[in-house]
Amino acid sequence: MKKALVLLMLLSLVLGSAFAQGGAEVNADNYPSGPVSVIVPYSAGGGTDLVARALVDAAKDSFPKNISVENRTGGGGAVGMSYGAHAKADGSVISMITVELVTLPHTGTGAGLYYDQFKPIMMVNSAYSAVTVKADSPYNTLNEFLDAAKTQTMRVGNSGVGAIWHLAAAGLAKAAGVTFNHIPFDGAAPAITSLLGGHIDAVTVSYAEVASQVKAGNLKVLAVLAPERISATPDIPTAKELGYDVAIGTWRGLGVPKDTPQPIADKIYSIFSQAAKSDSFIKFMNSSNNIIDVMDSASYGKKLATDNEMFKSLIAELGLKQQ
Amino acid sequence: MLVEVLTSVFNIQIFLFIILGVFTGICIGALPGLTATMGVALVLPLTFGLDAIPGILLLIGVYVGAIYGGSISGILLRTPGTPAAAATAIDGYEFSKRGESGRAMGISTVSSFIGGVVSVIALWLIAPQLAKLALRFSAPEFFLLAVFGLSIIASISGNSLAKGVLCGGLGISLSFIGIDGITGFPRFTFNDINLLSGMSFIPVMIGLFAMSQAFRTIEDIFTPDQVSQKISHVWPSKSDWKIILKFAPISGLIGTIIGIVPGAGAEIGAFVSYSQAKRMSKRPELFGTGIPEAIAAPEGGNNGVTGGALIPMLTMGVPGDAVAAIMIGALTVQGLQPGPLLFTEHTTLVYSIFLGMFVANVAMLVLGLSSLKLFVKVLSIPKAILTPMIFVLCVVGSYAINTNFFDVGVMLFFGIVGYFMQKVDMSVSPAVLGLILGPMAESNFRRALLMSEGNYSIFFTSVIAWIFVALIFITLLGPQITALFKRKTA
Repeated sequence: MKKALVLLMLLSLVLGSAFAQGGAEVNADNYPSGPVSVIVPYSAGGGTDLVARALVDAAKDSFPKNISVENRTGGGGAVGMSYGAHAKADGSVISMITVELVTLPHTGTGAGLYYDQFKPIMMVNSAYSAVTVKADSPYNTLNEFLDAAKTQTMRVGNSGVGAIWHLAAAGLAKAAGVTFNHIPFDGAAPAITSLLGGHIDAVTVSYAEVASQVKAGNLKVLAVLAPERISATPDIPTAKELGYDVAIGTWRGLGVPKDTPQPIADKIYSIFSQAAKSDSFIKFMNSSNNIIDVMDSASYGKKLATDNEMFKSLIAELGLKQQ
Repeated sequence: MLVEVLTSVFNIQIFLFIILGVFTGICIGALPGLTATMGVALVLPLTFGLDAIPGILLLIGVYVGAIYGGSISGILLRTPGTPAAAATAIDGYEFSKRGESGRAMGISTVSSFIGGVVSVIALWLIAPQLAKLALRFSAPEFFLLAVFGLSIIASISGNSLAKGVLCGGLGISLSFIGIDGITGFPRFTFNDINLLSGMSFIPVMIGLFAMSQAFRTIEDIFTPDQVSQKISHVWPSKSDWKIILKFAPISGLIGTIIGIVPGAGAEIGAFVSYSQAKRMSKRPELFGTGIPEAIAAPEGGNNGVTGGALIPMLTMGVPGDAVAAIMIGALTVQGLQPGPLLFTEHTTLVYSIFLGMFVANVAMLVLGLSSLKLFVKVLSIPKAILTPMIFVLCVVGSYAINTNFFDVGVMLFFGIVGYFMQKVDMSVSPAVLGLILGPMAESNFRRALLMSEGNYSIFFTSVIAWIFVALIFITLLGPQITALFKRKTA
């Protein structure tokens, strides 16, 4: 009896997957032929989630069979991205991929994740680190701050050990030839709170995260670690202009499993690059201090590769590699 | 800002959410075995799809309603619907024996409302000031605050000190799982990706508070609760009003202060108010025989806790009681981090919570005075129908948070753990506070030492730090010292 049951279950599994395979015959012309889900590797309501939802909302007319956002959290993003990388390669599962895709594997907490498991579709937005101090701090330029760091220990807050803003501070220290005392917090908000209270000397989180306190006159930004000045704040210099060749930031984009047929990937790109130009999406991004930074598949793929190399060596130098 | 707050609260959708919350809360509170914490834990997953303001206000409605609702079954059956109504049940049932259950419930309703309103006013006055003060808190102060919270667990929760400490320790050890926040090393993860980010807080809560209770109800699933009282004369008489107005506001204030203390919840607020009223009363010998002040005081006191518990939660991310701990989860899901920044960057949300909580108290008063008969009927819903519904809600809720089936397993595991903890008469609340305060103590201790580059004197450099050191000593050694004095004088 038990054997028969097991056999029956096995049979149904085999048949089931056979049917599923049969149904997976997709060509790009009729994509999307079924419901599509977008995997967000972070919790609902967070920054990545909101951007994903706004983008999906702007694109939903192109998905007549429904498109939904699914939050699969855990492992600092590794859970959701692994799920997305190993999903069916037919365009039915699209993942929000973030900079953690090229940092987690090097800290040893990526759980087998690697950036080449994805076929990059497009980059959606980027946010670069802003070196921020208290408004009444004696340092008014990045140079003054880094000069002072040569003789005294600067306490620089970040959003978590090994997280992108920790790496940003470490990258700056490396470029300037100084050492910081890195203080990890549980997210960006507690780090900013601690800076406001004067308990640490600086934070290196994104400009969006400090923007409201900067506008309120409580904090000031010395420089952004961006390749060029941020359009929202043209007065703030980049570190590169000041002679420190470092540009570190987070980015978000879309990716599909690497075996996805190219025509389908192209179709997804055309749908979402249109959505990124829609008024509703632009309005949302502006109101939430996010900077739209669209990159096509080829240049995004290159960025993934160069970022991966940069973080690999940076993390190794910092001694953050586990096991 | 004022206009934004008014328009965000005074619209029909928000009102409906608040009323729905209060209504659900009263039903949950009235049913013996279903506590306020459980109610909020069960409703929490329903808020994931809502905006922040309606979501939080729905939960606050459930909280306010459930703390009040517990008195209904306390008065009618002498079985408090929630632990917070245990003090009310003593005298409340005496009223029912005399056939005056309507009068007792009227007193309870009005006193709960007064206690609740007092606490909302306190929340509105104190929280923004405390948020400013919270900026002066750095890692050493947060460490000492967390230790203070943990020391309270040890001294007041449950009947037995040993069980309380054991349970708190269980919560703290659970928090060890996951990536360590200071060095980034994974601890106790057994190479399982699901454990990398630690124990998911909400499934643990749903398991400990809701699932365990549902398991427990199975034991006597076919014993119906007998309710055969006519409810009349709910509106308090003139002489009752006098007593209510004398005792409820003070109790509300006592409740608020107890609510602010991390870890002390509504049941303690009720009992402290009850004994304070006994001391204040001209007829302490009549307590226990069914007098109005013995209902007015604990009911004002337990609803007073509701606003108080939110004060440290909103300003510093430290829960005032187990319900506030769940609300931290609700805020985080919405991408909001409790703390001083909440007051400067989400001002509308914060003040909408204050105003919405006031509306919730009004809704509780109106529902309480108008629909008591309906709530009494809830008591006769067969448990065989109710319990499976709770099972379903527990499973769906814990899956919904991360759409990860692993979390359902976590919830079931802690449901079973919670069930056996109750079997051996252990309160589960200390575990939850340990789960929140443990990592707060640990990471801030290590962060403080990072800041001072290893110098321990950083823990004694500010006035706030010294105050907490003193408070910790008082809580830990206070009972021993008073015992010593008592022995000497005796």
